[in-house]
Amino acid sequence: MAKTILVVDDSASIRQVVSIALKGAGYEVITANDGQDALKKLDGHKIHLIVTDVNMPVMDGIAFVREAKKLPDYKFTPFIMLTTESQPEKKAEGKEAGAKAWIVKPFQPPQLLDAVSRLISP
Amino acid sequence: MDELEQAKQTFVSEAQDLLRDMESGLMQIEAEPDDAENINAVFRAAHTIKGSAGLFGLAHIVSFTHVVETVLERIRSGKLPPSGDLIALLLECRDHIESLIELLTRGIETPDADTEQRAEALRTQLLGFLDGEGGAETAKAHAPASVLEHDVAESQVPDGQYLVRSRYWHISLRFGEGVLRNGMEPLSFIRYLKKLGEIVHISTLYDAMPPAASMDPESCYLGFEIVFDSAATKPDIERVFEFVEDDCQIRIIPPHSEVTRFRELIEALPEADLKVGEILLKSGALTEQELEAALHNQVVAENQADVPQLPVKRLGEILVEQGVVHAETVRSALDKQDKVQANKLKESKSIRIDADRLDDLINLMGELVIGSAAATLMARKHDLIDVLEAVSSISRLIEDIHDRSLRLRMVQIADTFNRFRRVVRDISREIGKDIDLIIDGGETELDKSVVEKIGDPLTHLVRNAIDHGIENAETRALLGKPANGQIRLNAYHESGSIIIEVSDDGGGIDADKVLAKALANGLVAPTQTLTEKEIFQLIFEPGLSTAEKVSNLSGRGVGMDVVKRNVIALRGTVEVTSELGAGTTVTIRLPLTLSIIDGFLVMVGDSSYVLPLDSVVECVEFTEESRHGHEGNYVAWHEHVLSFVDLRELFKEKGPKAARQTIVVVQGGGQKIGLVVDQFLGEFQTVIKPLNKLFEKLHCVSGSTILGSGEVALILDVLAMTRLVETRVEAE
Repeated sequence: MAKTILVVDDSASIRQVVSIALKGAGYEVITANDGQDALKKLDGHKIHLIVTDVNMPVMDGIAFVREAKKLPDYKFTPFIMLTTESQPEKKAEGKEAGAKAWIVKPFQPPQLLDAVSRLISP
Repeated sequence: MDELEQAKQTFVSEAQDLLRDMESGLMQIEAEPDDAENINAVFRAAHTIKGSAGLFGLAHIVSFTHVVETVLERIRSGKLPPSGDLIALLLECRDHIESLIELLTRGIETPDADTEQRAEALRTQLLGFLDGEGGAETAKAHAPASVLEHDVAESQVPDGQYLVRSRYWHISLRFGEGVLRNGMEPLSFIRYLKKLGEIVHISTLYDAMPPAASMDPESCYLGFEIVFDSAATKPDIERVFEFVEDDCQIRIIPPHSEVTRFRELIEALPEADLKVGEILLKSGALTEQELEAALHNQVVAENQADVPQLPVKRLGEILVEQGVVHAETVRSALDKQDKVQANKLKESKSIRIDADRLDDLINLMGELVIGSAAATLMARKHDLIDVLEAVSSISRLIEDIHDRSLRLRMVQIADTFNRFRRVVRDISREIGKDIDLIIDGGETELDKSVVEKIGDPLTHLVRNAIDHGIENAETRALLGKPANGQIRLNAYHESGSIIIEVSDDGGGIDADKVLAKALANGLVAPTQTLTEKEIFQLIFEPGLSTAEKVSNLSGRGVGMDVVKRNVIALRGTVEVTSELGAGTTVTIRLPLTLSIIDGFLVMVGDSSYVLPLDSVVECVEFTEESRHGHEGNYVAWHEHVLSFVDLRELFKEKGPKAARQTIVVVQGGGQKIGLVVDQFLGEFQTVIKPLNKLFEKLHCVSGSTILGSGEVALILDVLAMTRLVETRVEAE
């Protein structure tokens, strides 16, 4: 069975494009609008990788990673953070929270697939 | 529209929303400069637009929004006070982004010079607000190429150093204990490494593994020494391990490095020196001599404490965000942009819909019309006044929707007609005739599929008119006609059909000549007597051309028969009228090919019949007295004599005859006739069900429909009826 990736971003177009790219590469994709929404979706799904934006309303990516890492099921799940060059401190914060892989926005699908392929295979 | 296009539409509407938020947010900042959440929201809006635009390779939006984002970030972190001037400028920038998005909706992904200029002006102003550091940062993002000059020192060899002979990279990996806990799998990195080249040799070191009792299964204790054959650059190889840089000790030694690099490696690794040396030797990274030198140097180094220790290059020193990724982004963005551009231009103006889907919709519409008719009928039958009212307002809506859904398929004929301007101009010039083309009724709408198929027959007819119809200039002058010949294309609706006329003011058709030719070709028997109309009809027969000479354009006897075949294939008819010396008109009559018509429901005996409503002229009472004379089927009608057809007779109806019959006056093919019916039930939305092939020879019936009650009613072919009358009159 194809592995499932959770994509968390407040931008619908990013969710859409990222989903297209990941589905094209053979993954199952679930999306969430923000950290809180994502936490809800962690329940009841077997998720193998999480791609999350940092800057989101309601609950940002860093808080989300921190919360998710507390769940026994997601202790070992790799996180890819979508960081930005204008906020270098966010990356450090994200790493602190437990996300070890990152992609710098703006990015394009090949970069994402490249990062994903280093962590899991479909 | 493909998925990516859809995503792009999402991006556009999302960006528009964000820009609205940004506008109100910016004004809010002016009012309440301390509202951190508001400032953050404005920042996030710019940030999201930039991120999404990047995903679509819209480099110009990314680069402009980037500066805006940088300024907003300064405001957010309190480094830049949001002065009135700055907010005004940011609002202007917002407007500029909006205009970029607006261009995008029109399919323009490369801004013109003006837009670029405006962007540049705004950018310069923004940079004015940034302090030196911020400006430099922005500049860096714009010129990332310089960062590519990386690790130059690496390739420079200090003089007098031993260089190892191996042409392979050596990669030494010691994964940290926490790597598994962070969701990383050591193997996947090694697998990924293989994308860059070939692993010549790999040794796994498990010296760090504690005794089973004290081993933590969630920890990683492994190390790897890899001999790697690759043409990749050092940054490329380092990038493979970027996600584990914090959890992992990585040392990468390029091919032909100085021996001291290995010395440092051996020294730095936690395992015993000799063991590491052995591994290096076995894996082929070092020769025995080189190892000797390395170990020897090591001893030397230990003795000479002042030898500078070359620091091991940490992966973390080369961070992606400093440029490498950015350069790639820009490059692939450009590629992508070219590709998407072509599609985009077409997409935004209209939506392409599969014709089948449209037909499905129209078909369902038909069923809906039947359904609503049934509801009306029931309500009427049970005298449910309030239900009737409700149903009638629903059916009004359904009619509206039906009209609109039918219109989806309709296009104006103007485009087709206008094509002939060029045709007429080119051909008339070629053969030296001066011809004006007059176009009427270009706004007449007809089914798209009909428009597509009518082009060829029309071309034949127009060419024919130019070639045979219009006389040459001398003849025209002699006949006192205007020097310029005239061809007229005309279209209009009549009786649920569309009429397309091609007429010319040329020499007309000589009926005698046509007849003579037809006789010679054996198309008609000498004994047959033909009306003029029938003779003209002969020109549509294969193999008949009256042109004395075969020309380039026409006269081979193909053409007119092809025209007829094409028109018949569209369930239409073609007729020609001509006056010798005055001109010829070819009239094509096509059904609108619509599956629903406005019908007029009549009863004859027990059976229902539907007449196309737009063919109905008037209903008058029919009495035996009104019969014109007492012979034949004629009645007086508005000072005219109207021939009529008694449908009861025609269809051999046996049901009860109404005490007072009615004549429905209908018009078809420019002729009016009366149809005698028992009663009329009024307007009726009619869904045409084509008749089975079995009934195709049936005269005077063009289709059938199912009434709301489930009964079948035949749709009458008014044109055929008028013909019937015509032949009857002629026979008399």
